[in-house]
Amino acid sequence: MSASLAPECNEVKERYDNCFLKWYSEKFLRGTATSDECEPLFKQYEQCLSKALKARGIDTMLKEAREDNRENDAEHMRPKR
Amino acid sequence: MVKFYSSTDTYSYPFPAVTLAYFLRYPNPYSTHVLSTDTISRHYDPVTQRLTTIRLHLKRSKLPSAVLKLIPRSLLSASAGGDTQSYILEKSVVDVREGWMDTESRNLEWTGVLSVVEKQEFRRPQLNEEERVWAGMENAARRHGFISFNSGTKVEVDTGETTEVKSAVTLHSHLGEKWKKRKAAEDSAAGEKEEEQPQKMGFFKSWSTSSLQRSIELIGLKRARRSQPNAKEGMKVVLERMREGGLVAVLEGMRRDREAILGGHPHAFKKGMGKGEDED
Repeated sequence: MSASLAPECNEVKERYDNCFLKWYSEKFLRGTATSDECEPLFKQYEQCLSKALKARGIDTMLKEAREDNRENDAEHMRPKR
Repeated sequence: MVKFYSSTDTYSYPFPAVTLAYFLRYPNPYSTHVLSTDTISRHYDPVTQRLTTIRLHLKRSKLPSAVLKLIPRSLLSASAGGDTQSYILEKSVVDVREGWMDTESRNLEWTGVLSVVEKQEFRRPQLNEEERVWAGMENAARRHGFISFNSGTKVEVDTGETTEVKSAVTLHSHLGEKWKKRKAAEDSAAGEKEEEQPQKMGFFKSWSTSSLQRSIELIGLKRARRSQPNAKEGMKVVLERMREGGLVAVLEGMRRDREAILGGHPHAFKKGMGKGEDED
């Protein structure tokens, strides 16, 4: 699995990634997913990561970029057909 | 004045496998400059059955010496040698029912110097009725071509289906624009930083801002042209591993690639692959 930018989050990231891969291949790709079953694990991973992003000062940069993105999303991420 | 690069390609793998490979593409032997990948948000909409993912990649990069010569020293204090790490924000939306995945990646830093936005559109080819029937029969004949993760997880890779991908990179330099704005703001606020101004303004006078921007966009364009084939090769390595040994082989390959990166011998490793080091 790919590494987390925060080594202290590697373990919880790996647990989440494994859960996601299983859900993605078994449910999502087959069109049988009814909900994101890995959300509880994601919340744990997110909690660890958000601390790390804050400590590195990346959180504000990220927020700005995502707000920028949101404005463009409506036109760019729409399916073409 | 924006530079634009685009290309199309066909993967000889079915659409679902390609989307999985996209999420699993780092690390691979062609991406030893990618240090980490984190998912920062993920949303599944059960009504549309679309999955939206935002990830943050950290890449080791080197500013090309040509760019170093062009941009003012005062900008470079943080990384005087041009060695730097940069964050890339990636957004993707997958719709498996309609058979498309759209992705967009952009740099988070240095956007004042050069903003690079890469978009990719993955499409399951649209088949007509007759082709659909044949594909179905062919699929049935190839059911053994599953990949398995553990007992329950199977993604088909040998169905004979293909996936089309369109890539486009947009490069836009805003160099000089911010300082012009800042200068105007400072002038009206009775400039306290007067010592810094003459040097900067002198710099931008000697080259016109627009020709500087064009030069930087051109350098970025050359880089994009060089890195695109590597990005595709990386995806193909991951897909090949999937075909050979399923998800287990992909994960095992990732583990080895990650060790090679952490082991600090990315160059020796890369030499073996015969690839350059500026792919970002």
